[in-house]
Amino acid sequence: MGTLAEWLSENPERSGSLAKRQDAPPLRVLWITPLRALAADTELSLRLPLEGLGVPWTVETRTGDTSQSLRKKQGDQLPTVLITTPESLMLLLMRENAEELFSGLRCIVVDEWHELLSTKRGVQTELALARVRQLSPLVRTWGVSATLGNLDQAKESLLGAGNKGAVVRGYAGKETLIDTVLPKNISRFPWSGHFGTTMIPAVIEAIEDVGTCLIFTNTRSQTEIWHEQIVSSRPDWADQVALHHGSLDRETRDQVEADIKSGKLRAVVCTSSLDLGVDFSPVDRVLQVGSPKGIARLLQRAGRSGHRPGVASRVTCVPSHAFELVDIAAARQAASEGKIETRQSLSKPLDVLSQHLVSIAVGTGFRAEDLLREVRTTLAYRDLTDEEWHWVLDFVVRGGEALRAYPEYSRVVLGDDGVYRVTDKDIAQRHRLTVGTIMSDSAMTVQMVNGGRLGTVEESFLSRLSPGDRFLFAGKLVEFVRIRDMTAWVRKATKRSAIVPRWAGGRVPLTTELSHAIRTELEHAKYGELRSPEMETLAPILELQSKWSSIPAQDELLVEQVETSEGHHLFIYPFEGRLVHEGLAALFAYRISMNQSITISIACNDYGLELLSPEPIDLHSALQRGLLSSQSLAEDIIASLNAAEMAKRQFREIARIAGLVFEGSPWMKKSTKQVQATSGLFFDVFARYDPENMLMRQAQREVLERQLEQSRLGSALVRLRGSKLLVTNPPKPTPMAFPILVDRLRGTVTSENLTDRIQKMSLRLEKDADL
Amino acid sequence: MPSELQLELVGEQVSILAEKALYWPREATLFVADVHLGKDSAMVASGIPVPLTASVETLSQLSSVMNLTHCQRLVILGDLWHHSLGRTPRIYSEFLAWRRRHIGIDVILVEGNHDIKSGRLTEEANVQEVPECFSLGPFSLCHFPQRCSNGFGLAGHIHPAVTLQGKGRQALTLPCLYIREDFAVLPAFGQFTGCGTVEPTGQDRVYVFADQQVLQVA
Repeated sequence: MGTLAEWLSENPERSGSLAKRQDAPPLRVLWITPLRALAADTELSLRLPLEGLGVPWTVETRTGDTSQSLRKKQGDQLPTVLITTPESLMLLLMRENAEELFSGLRCIVVDEWHELLSTKRGVQTELALARVRQLSPLVRTWGVSATLGNLDQAKESLLGAGNKGAVVRGYAGKETLIDTVLPKNISRFPWSGHFGTTMIPAVIEAIEDVGTCLIFTNTRSQTEIWHEQIVSSRPDWADQVALHHGSLDRETRDQVEADIKSGKLRAVVCTSSLDLGVDFSPVDRVLQVGSPKGIARLLQRAGRSGHRPGVASRVTCVPSHAFELVDIAAARQAASEGKIETRQSLSKPLDVLSQHLVSIAVGTGFRAEDLLREVRTTLAYRDLTDEEWHWVLDFVVRGGEALRAYPEYSRVVLGDDGVYRVTDKDIAQRHRLTVGTIMSDSAMTVQMVNGGRLGTVEESFLSRLSPGDRFLFAGKLVEFVRIRDMTAWVRKATKRSAIVPRWAGGRVPLTTELSHAIRTELEHAKYGELRSPEMETLAPILELQSKWSSIPAQDELLVEQVETSEGHHLFIYPFEGRLVHEGLAALFAYRISMNQSITISIACNDYGLELLSPEPIDLHSALQRGLLSSQSLAEDIIASLNAAEMAKRQFREIARIAGLVFEGSPWMKKSTKQVQATSGLFFDVFARYDPENMLMRQAQREVLERQLEQSRLGSALVRLRGSKLLVTNPPKPTPMAFPILVDRLRGTVTSENLTDRIQKMSLRLEKDADL
Repeated sequence: MPSELQLELVGEQVSILAEKALYWPREATLFVADVHLGKDSAMVASGIPVPLTASVETLSQLSSVMNLTHCQRLVILGDLWHHSLGRTPRIYSEFLAWRRRHIGIDVILVEGNHDIKSGRLTEEANVQEVPECFSLGPFSLCHFPQRCSNGFGLAGHIHPAVTLQGKGRQALTLPCLYIREDFAVLPAFGQFTGCGTVEPTGQDRVYVFADQQVLQVA
């Protein structure tokens, strides 16, 4: 790096160790990492060469895990090299002496930029970087990223709108092998579900002969179940198989990571929590349980194995239900054709911007015009309109339109000197706590009654438990005791339980690229061409699907009409990924409900969607009346997502970031119960009294853009309209329908009178006896 | 047209009103629970921008149902106020104005956990504050649901709701009046209040509130 080279040439005589704080130069290099977990390893990796070269620089980390005493020292003088997260960087920028602290900065490195890029934290990083560049105009920015389909855009978002920069690529000569553990008896292999218990013996065989193995699953729940199953099958491996996911306690995760490094562990079952990081461990083998969901993701995980030049990367896929075999075959095919996903930067999220404004106001304060100019240097807010800026400013100062008549409200205050600041200490303190909220879930700590913390579980899961209920968490069987002091207390359980907490936000959808590849594989299968061992293994099930219904070709839209004791089902298969399907399902249900008085329950997965109702749905007349039409699409989508309460759900995240909903911390002295209300309540209040509120509109917009990938939804409709309609009437739900049928996340759209609905329903009286 | 249903509680005829109140004709007494005035202003006072309308609307709805029933007495089963932070001069004066509009009506408040955090009411409020298990005829007035030795308990605190299920995997969660063998729990009257789902058992009676209607579901 330039700075280092510069320094080295100026200082030919050097001692052999790192300097003390007071002797070392102040901040010169800022290294931004997305995860606290990576910071420690990064610190080590940076220290070693500096020590080796005898450079008297200090290297330190600053994240949520950093001790109070170290933070205090850093507050007065930062180390020469500081490794930190975007949130902690923001908190540093909020200090009064920020300008002084950053004055000597010459270089910024942002690690794993591809991970942050398409998220709100990435936008927060863009804003923080714009601020840093304001304080240190001479700084040079470097980004480190995995392969993306759109590296140029990734570069621009990091360097600021319109900045050129250069892309440096590593030598890409490595080969990647993708293979599969095939189910021995396909007729016994489940058609749905994610817990793949039938594959356990095969997985155990796969990890038997290797040194260390990473087993990736798609959700935290799956991690818990798979870990438990492996350890139950092989109790002799109890100390050698660990689990790792984002809701486990920090200490536990650190221990697991240390154990991987020291070679103590035979296998670790994990989520994307172990996706990132410098090469810290000798991993021999990588397994991917469940659908890979995307091609880039699969290749990245494969790349964790065999870290030696010349050795190929390899990932072994483990399907947990029948049709995942198609996903795997398709992913391999697409990878061989170089079809890798792109990641887009988010477009001007106003909740992140409003949080940023308050942050600066808490710190140095700002002048409106100057900050607007600064914000517009970022790619995310390059197109921020004056109207949007004024709305956000008004929102943080006066509380927006809803509170126009109430002058006593204040958060950010405009001083006589033209500078906006937060003057109330309580508000400032509460804001500092919310700066990390873009990252966290609404989770509650789980702790053993006579022992340590296990990690966090979503409050919605814990609040439904009764004392004595058992569940599996952090690899342990625990029994719920009580909730007190914002902690859920548990004790060791003796009886087994299959209940595993469910965490929201775990369901990554299929990427467009992989969906497309899957449709191609299925078309080949339709015409009898089974191009891989996975598809050959699946043959008997594909035959059944063909017999009862059909396998769609690429230009066909398959619709299955089935009646069961549950009601009348309509299964539609667009193959556009679960998020787009959520939007399509709500849209279809809404359009249908406009023409007949009906209540439709909707569910979906990555392959398709289900409309379920007590009465049959007239599909043909619905199609005639424009079920797939693009006319008045925008209005219908908005109406449908309100009808299906999707905007309300999206509002949760926005309410948290914009500081409406505040999650207290266990160590806070003041109770915050008086300011707690669920985001759903806020949504209802805003919907009634301030529907034009920009946060409400943002909720809608976000559901449309991010969740439903609106443009993807729009083009999906066009494609579906142009497809040949293939309607079948299978005697029972087909292998393709089954995974959707058993999906528990359901929305409802209704045009029925509420009283009528209630009269048809009955009270859920007793809980399940066996939990 | 908001509806009402008649039922019998411990030998007394009472009406359940769709506005989420209980009316006892024999003593012209209206019962409500969990009004939570000032929750919105508590938010605003803490820097959280929420429209300041819920408290005022709640008072207006309370007036409306008091007028409709021509009650002589109003019993509030706890949590009239949300928190001292939200008891701003503005909303307190609205509250006093509401009180003056119904000057001929006695108002009894059972002290709830939020009332304790909100501070004592002034004399001007003209509200009789009573403790848990206060006897009123065959009833025992409480905030926390409990069996009282001196009568059939009427309580609040939980903000009860129940989940209904239907064919086609439908589910609906609605606020309710929940009646057990020796006590009943009223729904939260206040706007901008959340709900706590309860799971009734065999002998319980449950009435849900939806769209200006009250319906019996158990």
